[in-house]
Amino acid sequence: MGLDRRRDLLFLDLYLFVRIKNLHSLHNGRVHARVRLEIPLIALLLVGATSPWMTAEEEPNSQCYQCHDDETLKDESGRSLFVNKGAFENSIHSKSGFTCVSCHIDLEKVKDFPHATKLKKVDCGSCHGDAQKMFKQSIHAEAKQAPQIKEVTCQSCHGKHDILEKSDVNSKINPLNVAQTCGNCHFTKVKGEKSQAFVKGYLESVHALAVTRSGLANSATCQNCHGSHEVRAPADPRSPVARRQVPYTCGSCHSGILRDYLEGVHGRAFTQNISDVPVCTDCHGEHEIHSPRDKRSAVYSTHVALTCAKCHDNEQLIEKYGLPKGRLRTFRGTFHGLASAYGESKVANCSSCHGFHNIRPSSDSKSPIYPANLPQTCGRCHGGASVKLAAVRIHVLDPKATNYTAYVIQKFYVVLIVIILGSFLIYILGDLKKRMQFTRTE
Amino acid sequence: MKLWASNNEEDLCKEGNIDPRQIVSDDEVFIRMTLAERLQHVTLITCFLVLVLTGLPLLFDPTVWLQRMFFFEGSFNLRGIIHRTAGVGLILLSLFHIGYMTSTRRGRANLLALIPKLKDITDAFESFNYNLGLTTWLHRKGVLRAFFQAHPYWLFQKPPKYGRYNFIEKFEYLALLWGTLVMIVTGFFLWANNLTFRIFPVWVFDIFRIVHSYEAILAFLSIIIWHLYNVHLNPEVFPMSRIWIDGKITGHELRTLHALEYEELVKKRHNESRL
Repeated sequence: MGLDRRRDLLFLDLYLFVRIKNLHSLHNGRVHARVRLEIPLIALLLVGATSPWMTAEEEPNSQCYQCHDDETLKDESGRSLFVNKGAFENSIHSKSGFTCVSCHIDLEKVKDFPHATKLKKVDCGSCHGDAQKMFKQSIHAEAKQAPQIKEVTCQSCHGKHDILEKSDVNSKINPLNVAQTCGNCHFTKVKGEKSQAFVKGYLESVHALAVTRSGLANSATCQNCHGSHEVRAPADPRSPVARRQVPYTCGSCHSGILRDYLEGVHGRAFTQNISDVPVCTDCHGEHEIHSPRDKRSAVYSTHVALTCAKCHDNEQLIEKYGLPKGRLRTFRGTFHGLASAYGESKVANCSSCHGFHNIRPSSDSKSPIYPANLPQTCGRCHGGASVKLAAVRIHVLDPKATNYTAYVIQKFYVVLIVIILGSFLIYILGDLKKRMQFTRTE
Repeated sequence: MKLWASNNEEDLCKEGNIDPRQIVSDDEVFIRMTLAERLQHVTLITCFLVLVLTGLPLLFDPTVWLQRMFFFEGSFNLRGIIHRTAGVGLILLSLFHIGYMTSTRRGRANLLALIPKLKDITDAFESFNYNLGLTTWLHRKGVLRAFFQAHPYWLFQKPPKYGRYNFIEKFEYLALLWGTLVMIVTGFFLWANNLTFRIFPVWVFDIFRIVHSYEAILAFLSIIIWHLYNVHLNPEVFPMSRIWIDGKITGHELRTLHALEYEELVKKRHNESRL
């Protein structure tokens, strides 16, 4: 019996011990009769299952490698039958003691070699039952969508003989490699070019850069948002990227922001099943999420106004929910709005005063635009500005009612300009007339 | 072009039986703008143009072509810096100008000559009516004959005679003084906005903003229409009066355009020669 087998048995014993201990604690320290029955059963099963290994030959795969270690080995249709010995022995399955016949079970009893060329498909589900069950509900298990795509199977993402542990940085499903694994199909083959470009947008995103530049394995990759085995279409309400699920999906990492969001007007409306309300992706984008400090981001300082205006300048939504009108226009009328539109990033935008994830109405005492909080809010930029500044009106719909003096002065100037420039023009016309007269008489 | 010369000559000849052109010849060259004045003028043009160009974008909704002007990071902030620098330039120029106009003899003389008088209003009125020629036309047609015989003034048969500065130039200068004062004061409070918020109610800031904007529009359009007509497009000087470059004016121009100043000069020289 090799050292590996002994170690494996040790692990099985350890597993058994933990399992019993867990059962023990689950039942408040009392081991139930059913459980008491289960313990010896598991033990018996495991010993039974491992006993053939102890009696097996030293190199169970050696017979297979006699043929399959040959790189030129092909079947009638020209498909390579080569099995990379090194890669397999490096795989998690080999390291856990699995042999060729553990998966290619129809060869277990075969004594006559070479064996029949047509083998049964390997059934991963015989061990990985849960994964298979989830996979069968996924969009991948549905009929293939494009003729150039082969059926999506376990191997498409996990590989075949060379499957590594997920924590191994070379594993196809390690966070460092997931984007490329999914991208094998989604960057090039599936759907149209537009969809591919949309998916590729991820590669430039702050999430992808965290992985590729900063090597941050816990940054979001495909399966963090879309799920792995059970990946579903976004239109499917069970999908983690379905509209109703987005805040919770993002919140699984950004939990503090989810908390803020649910406290704000948008989040509260969201929990009341109002689906017009923005979720994370409406402001931040989907695959191509950039840092707010990145100019490509929709929440970059100078882009915020237009991003909010998508809803707050939308006639139908304003009508439907009784939102205040003319927010963008009145903002653009201020120095903040103008400078922002001209690309000045340091000037105030919507979120500077209203906040962002937890936007609250001005009637909420926690809101930065609650009257008592205004001096502090304005004071963040206008340090030393007095409490008077808090009385400033930003979204002025009716300049006449808001500041009558300024309104009168403005009208006065308009009249003055018309009168003065009109007089200039009339005088000039008279002057030209006289000069033409002279020119004619000369 | 020889426009109003005939009238002025007649008057002078009648008065003293002298030919003024023997005393002040048409070819004689006078300095109308000294180098210091021309330099002030050029500095003013520069500051004014820079201020207009860097301030103009704030007067309009940010259209695409305007946004394209601010294509690099921080360019809008740079616009502000340039605008305020030109503003400081204008303030310094104004201070220099005040000093120049009060401390030099020539400056004081010019300042006195620039003071608006009732004559300037009647000059404008007469000049306009002379140009229009409406009453002359009515008279020719025999309308209101008795009235025009009793009050020949209303026929406006002659253009008014101007002194060193005519009503156009006086108006431009006063408008410039007023406009600069308003722009400097409002501009200062917009610049020091935190100070403004501290010492004034918020609605005053709005007024500063509105006055600064509209005064700018008024100034810009006045320059485009009024000043550019009078010194560039006017057939009298077209394509351009060269005074702002070389500062020179001929005896002929003095006699035709600034008749009163010319007459004074003639009288002065005539008296000196008699003594």
